[in-house]
Amino acid sequence: MKLQDYLRFRRIKNKTFAKLLNISPVSLSRYISGERFPEKKILIKIHNLSEGLVSPNDFCLQDDKNYDVNESQKIELKKFHQHILSGSRKHLGKVITLIESSREKDQITSEKLLELFKGNDKSIRIGITGVPGVGKSTFIESFGMKLIRKGFKVAVLAVDPSSRFSGGSILGDKTRMEKLSVNKNAFIRPSPSSGHLGGVAKRTSESILCLEEAGFNIIFVETMGVGQAETEVYDMVDIFLVLLLPAGGDELQGIKKGIIEMADLIIVNKADGELKKSAEITQREYKNASHITNKSRINEDIGVMICSSLNQSGFENVWKYILKFIDIRKKNNAFINERNLQKINRMWGLVDLKVKGFVKNLSSRKFVQELLKNVKINNLSMYRAVKMISNYIIKK
Amino acid sequence: MSKINIKDWINSAEKELKEKKLEELFWETPEGIKVKPLYTEDDIKQLNHEIGLPGLPPYTRGPRATMYANRPWTIRQYAGFSTAEESNKFYKEGLKNGVMGLSVAFDLATHRGYDSDHQRVVADVGNAGVAIDSVEDMNKLFDGIPLEKMSVSMTMNGAVIPVLACFIASGLNQGCPIEKLTGTIQNDILKEFMVRNTFIFPPEPSMRIVADIIEFTSKKMPKFNSISISGYHMQEAGANQVQELAYTLADGKEYLEAALKRGLDIDDFAPRLSFFWSIGMNFFMEIAKMRAARFMWSEIVKKFNPKNSRSLALRTHCQTSGVSLMEQDAYNNIVRTTVEAMAAVLGGTQSLHTNSFDEALALPTTFSARIARNTQLILSEETGITNVIDPLAGSYYLESLTSSMVVEANKLISEIDDVGGMVKAIEMGIPKMRIEESSAKRQAKVDSEEQIIVGVNKYKPTQKQDINILSIDNDKVRKKQISALNELKKSRDNKIVDEYIEKISEVARGNGNLLEICVEAAKNFCTVGEMTGAMEKVFGRHTLSSKTISGVYGKNVKSNEKISSVNTHIQNFIDRKGRRPRMLVVKMGQDGHDRGAKLIATAFADLGFDIDVGPLFQTPDEAAKQAIENDVHIIGVSTLAAGHKTLVPLLIKALKNNDADGIKVICGGVIPPQDYSDLYKLGVSKVFGPGTNIPEAAIEIMDIL
Ligand code: B12
Ligand SMILES: Nc1nc2c(ncn2[C@@H]2O[C@H](COP(=O)(O)OP(=O)(O)O)[C@@H](O)[C@H]2O)c(=O)[nH]1
Ligand SMILES: [Mg+2]
Repeated sequence: MKLQDYLRFRRIKNKTFAKLLNISPVSLSRYISGERFPEKKILIKIHNLSEGLVSPNDFCLQDDKNYDVNESQKIELKKFHQHILSGSRKHLGKVITLIESSREKDQITSEKLLELFKGNDKSIRIGITGVPGVGKSTFIESFGMKLIRKGFKVAVLAVDPSSRFSGGSILGDKTRMEKLSVNKNAFIRPSPSSGHLGGVAKRTSESILCLEEAGFNIIFVETMGVGQAETEVYDMVDIFLVLLLPAGGDELQGIKKGIIEMADLIIVNKADGELKKSAEITQREYKNASHITNKSRINEDIGVMICSSLNQSGFENVWKYILKFIDIRKKNNAFINERNLQKINRMWGLVDLKVKGFVKNLSSRKFVQELLKNVKINNLSMYRAVKMISNYIIKK
Repeated sequence: MSKINIKDWINSAEKELKEKKLEELFWETPEGIKVKPLYTEDDIKQLNHEIGLPGLPPYTRGPRATMYANRPWTIRQYAGFSTAEESNKFYKEGLKNGVMGLSVAFDLATHRGYDSDHQRVVADVGNAGVAIDSVEDMNKLFDGIPLEKMSVSMTMNGAVIPVLACFIASGLNQGCPIEKLTGTIQNDILKEFMVRNTFIFPPEPSMRIVADIIEFTSKKMPKFNSISISGYHMQEAGANQVQELAYTLADGKEYLEAALKRGLDIDDFAPRLSFFWSIGMNFFMEIAKMRAARFMWSEIVKKFNPKNSRSLALRTHCQTSGVSLMEQDAYNNIVRTTVEAMAAVLGGTQSLHTNSFDEALALPTTFSARIARNTQLILSEETGITNVIDPLAGSYYLESLTSSMVVEANKLISEIDDVGGMVKAIEMGIPKMRIEESSAKRQAKVDSEEQIIVGVNKYKPTQKQDINILSIDNDKVRKKQISALNELKKSRDNKIVDEYIEKISEVARGNGNLLEICVEAAKNFCTVGEMTGAMEKVFGRHTLSSKTISGVYGKNVKSNEKISSVNTHIQNFIDRKGRRPRMLVVKMGQDGHDRGAKLIATAFADLGFDIDVGPLFQTPDEAAKQAIENDVHIIGVSTLAAGHKTLVPLLIKALKNNDADGIKVICGGVIPPQDYSDLYKLGVSKVFGPGTNIPEAAIEIMDIL
């Protein structure tokens, strides 16, 4: 940890710390600014006084300099923030790009911007999953339009899979929402699953914050219902909906059991025409299903409802359920507690991302390439190489 | 003479080949059929089809006994542009010079059931066909052309009821009794959902409309073909020949069932069903396709126990393939069209359209249309081809190929049957996906120069030719149509009109015949848009939910320096910008040509771009909104129906209005070179015409970014 960060974190005044070190505050500030390098004796003292958090290495690293913003940048950021507050689509689009960017500079800008956000707990964050074709987009389209008519502002975030071969992706046509997409009270943004750091999905929660700052109060997050993105999304929403097809049990559905178990509300979609009967049967089956033994977040049995996104039937019940759910959660403080907990989880998520990014960068280092070469030709055991690399990381 | 043996041939062939192997001469067609270098009588010992005789079931050799020996095919040139008056002049010119039947091309506003004054068609009126708003326009279209004698084919599917109604009303105005009207209405809605994209209503009411028309015409218009079951558009959208064959016949089956469900007798309508094929450069395959189709159709209809053997006979129109024609070295197209026309004739078509050499540039001019027409006249009157009926029957190769096509097509038809028929299959997107796969595969082969196109990826011309093109002032046409519409609305009895509109909705809700009521409405000057609107109120307007395929292009394109250069560009871009280049591919206006846009989307994603896909029929404002929300680097406009002159300026304005002119705009598709400089002046960064090599385009786009 940088000395400055440590002092801030422990709320220790520079003067006090200088006294402890037995040096003048001026010298201390020189160490902090990097103007001078402390001698060995002082280094050890700092290390000990800082509970081992500030190590000699921290004085060598210079790269955090650009993390600080100057005055003119500050003004820029404020302006940007104002634009977002006023609901500028362009700026909203841009800030999500910054959040998803793999460039460090963009990361920093977006973080600085997010630090300006006031935040609010007025929105409802709704996660939606289900196998491709179950009707998630259609549901969001018609349900979202209904909410807009009720006076809400609706935003949709979706993560589309990137190709493992080319890294490119096709975005948006799996989230085609014809009416929503042209409505001025709606904002739709599909994102590729693999940004440079391999985890734009993890960034979705920051995007949610931006949309909320811009005044969107219903946020849908659509995922594919087939992978592990669901757990991530579960951890960034207030309520998690699983859409099912009107057809038998889990196997027929093709949805993973683990995903159904995360549901706060199960909705059997396409309850219309010929399919209505089987939707009702499916509903009954899931209501009585012994395998969904766990409870929803409100500690009640998981709701199972039917609806038709095509005919927009069953929506009123779904909306009532969501409102009641949120209401109970708010009354017993679970709503805000969970959001706070999610914040912590997100923090770890970001740490994870940083570490991953760091590791990824490592592979281009000369000494690592040297190691790799040796491992390949059996000059060096893989395990020893792991040890060397992890030692290197720890020291950093 | 001692009996010669195939082994002897193999020996001598191998001797000629020296180190090469005989297997290297085998060729696999795009549909996966293995073609040998030599066919012998052994190959036709066991066939999957019956050859038979012309004019007799199963009609493999042709629907008529005498075929061209008695009368050549009908020269029927598809045309229409601008106003009804202009098109009328063009038709008369053609008729004076050898054209024997008319074929009307409507503009996209009409196709989609919008009157010329609708806000969503500002770029579409009179551009890619003739604008028809009411019976008055129809009267002008056939002015001086007696409908009692002239057979008229109409390519209309979406707004099929109002347009056919106007046609009938116009015929009656001329004094032609309804039963004497001859011609064809395309009325093939299934392929619209698959490839042609001028649907209006959802599949279910659309199928009801098809049945209404079959019912009405079978009762009142005995000389009129109630439907033209079309494979043409499938091949043009990218289908290979087996797909074209199979999906068309599967569509046909679906229509048979729809009409039977209506309570019609198979013999009342089956003889009035006609077909429509595209004829591309794969010469023998096309002939085999046409023969296989006739055999297979008779087998299909047989299952419904017709008493009249004419019910089993497949009659067809053909058009040479437009997609085989290139912008580059455009005069080559005359040769291509000749070869294709010859295949259509040897395949035994009943009527034929030959494309003009400026196909990839714009609608034909009088000059290019003349050459196209003469191509048929020369074949028919100079070559002697017409003297012998089905001259290729019995050919070892052709019969064997026909047999393979029957087998392969039946496989695809079973796939459709397994999911419950074509309507279901279309809902699931199966045929569309398969066709898009074929299209992506072909493009990959062309881009990798495995598939040669003379003048495009080999033997490129060193000099550019300037070709005069037909340019339409669509703004002028639109204004003219609008003032005529206003005039009409002032002079007609609007109370009656309102009553008919209400009645149409009522019939749509119930189960009367929509064509019947619309004929009355048309007589009373209801417009095409009003009649469509009355039905739309009940049926709703359909939107396509289609998914873009991925991986097919990437798998089939050969990696070369171009591809690796794209990779490096993209890697550099990511390092600089923190994400992949992101492009929104848009289709604006009523232009439904989505083959190019889909191809660009899937291929660019396979090359490493993040691609947003806009829906069909977007407005410039909607496209700008999507681009801004998704913060794309660039918008790629794909435009083929001449809307670019109106829509691209509007798009650029919409971006500017939203302070988003940082987003670059490029265009692709059928854009005449004459228009490039205007687009560049507007701020378009680059225009990519037909024949664009995709990896090369990707590099150029990376340079722009
Ligand atoms: C195929 C085709 C069809 C198919 C379309 C199938 C489909 N789903 O797309 C069918 C048969 C259905 C059809 C129908 C019609 N067609 Co059409 N059709 C063609 C044809 C023959 C080829 C177009 C094509 O797909 N080429 C293959 C693709 C891969 O090429 P491309 O789109 O040009 O794309 C390449 C480049 O242009 C570029 N590119 C394109 N877009 C973009 C975007 C970006 C971002 C980039 C980088 C590059 C790029 O890269 C691509 C790869 O090389 C053209 C003539 C021609 N030869 O071009 C006429 C043509 C476009 N059609 C025409 C007409 C009039 C029609 C109809 C309106 C006729 C009518 N009146 O009913 C109908 C209506 C269709 C509709 N709904 O809009 C006219 C348009 C006239 C004009 N511009 O003035 C043309 C030019 C023929 C002609 N000369 O008369 N058609
Ligand atoms: N009958 C019926 N079809 C629906 C309903 N909701 C969606 N669909 C159809 O199911 C298909 C897939 O829908 P989509 O929203 O794209 O699914 P997603 O992949 O889960 O986003 C589309 O063809 C929709 O029209 C519904 O409530 N009833
Ligand atoms: Mg979806």
